[in-house]
Amino acid sequence: MHFALTVMHVYIYDSFLSHKKYDNTLARIETRLTDLGLNGKISRLGVMKNMQSAVENELKTGAKTITAVGNDNTVSQVINAMVKLTKERYPKIIPLGIIPVGDNNFIADNLGIAEEESACDILSARRIEKLDLGQVNDNFFLTNASITSVGTTIEMEKTYSIEIMDMGEVNVVNLRTTDKDSPANAKFNPQDGILELFIRTKTKKGFLKLTSQETGESIFSLKKLNILNSKNYSIILDGYLEVRTPAQISVIKQKLSAIVGKDRNF
Amino acid sequence: MFNAQEEKGGLKEVETIIGPSVKVKGNFHGQGNIVIEGILEGSLKTQSSLHIGDKAKVTANVEAKGATISGEVVGNIKIKGYLDVGPTAKITGDIEASSLSIARGAILNGKCAMSPGEGVSKEIK
Repeated sequence: MHFALTVMHVYIYDSFLSHKKYDNTLARIETRLTDLGLNGKISRLGVMKNMQSAVENELKTGAKTITAVGNDNTVSQVINAMVKLTKERYPKIIPLGIIPVGDNNFIADNLGIAEEESACDILSARRIEKLDLGQVNDNFFLTNASITSVGTTIEMEKTYSIEIMDMGEVNVVNLRTTDKDSPANAKFNPQDGILELFIRTKTKKGFLKLTSQETGESIFSLKKLNILNSKNYSIILDGYLEVRTPAQISVIKQKLSAIVGKDRNF
Repeated sequence: MFNAQEEKGGLKEVETIIGPSVKVKGNFHGQGNIVIEGILEGSLKTQSSLHIGDKAKVTANVEAKGATISGEVVGNIKIKGYLDVGPTAKITGDIEASSLSIARGAILNGKCAMSPGEGVSKEIK
């Protein structure tokens, strides 16, 4: 891929893509991008270059699109860097593109973005949707914030509180990614300005509580909540970023512009 | 809103489900349909329908547009439309509804008043 004089499209490659096994895939993606006229600057993450500085460099030079090349973790890190920087220093909101490579690409899947070369065609179509983001203290999440139910209490805008009496997991969902974080038959909308609090518990039943387990599911729609944990467990954002409790979680309506596919799940 | 494709508590679109193993304390006021299978203490209001499951325990004054009750309620219940009290229901408190059915086996300790409202009850079980 060559460098354009004015860099319009920026591709941020996650560090795991430096492994040899991705060479062919990346070459195919780069060829496809060139064919579509979407060639631009490649910024490779590594020991010497972290996400924040990579994104800041590209925002400075006036990138038209920043595309995360990698998996859910890559996408989530790019979003956090973009949102923090646009809030603090670069007010112009530019769209996020995604080219999923490797495993764990649930975000791309739910945004209707196919893997590898097919994702380039979606970038070319440039179908932009504004998506909500969850905010936990100073961090952001696109998919969910999760914490164990052990020791967890949830308070809703000082009107009521929720206690969980059995083992399980608490998920605050914006964009549903897997069956684990929400009921399989449910549809959530990441554009409605509302987060869904989903609690799944497992209650042991029978003699000595060994014979069977009963699953309980609870769901609440909300805009703001506080999570406390008496056992000092942390909240995990988008499956990778740890945030300590107590924490306030809120939704920021349509904060992120993302290039999505027509087969998106909302 | 959470759109369940399969019906939960007879309700197609459910905004809130308070499942078993979950206890809600405080004033719970919602706009959409609510299903309760767990514990609620405080007050409960919704502008839509309410389903209280057979294992649920509600200690609260309840207001809703319509309701089906199969669990335990301690508190006064005020329903604008139709209230369906199932055979496993145990209610300690006054009830008010514009249409009402009470199944055989249900326990009701309290006054019962009919208010002019949306529906007319014809059903007697």
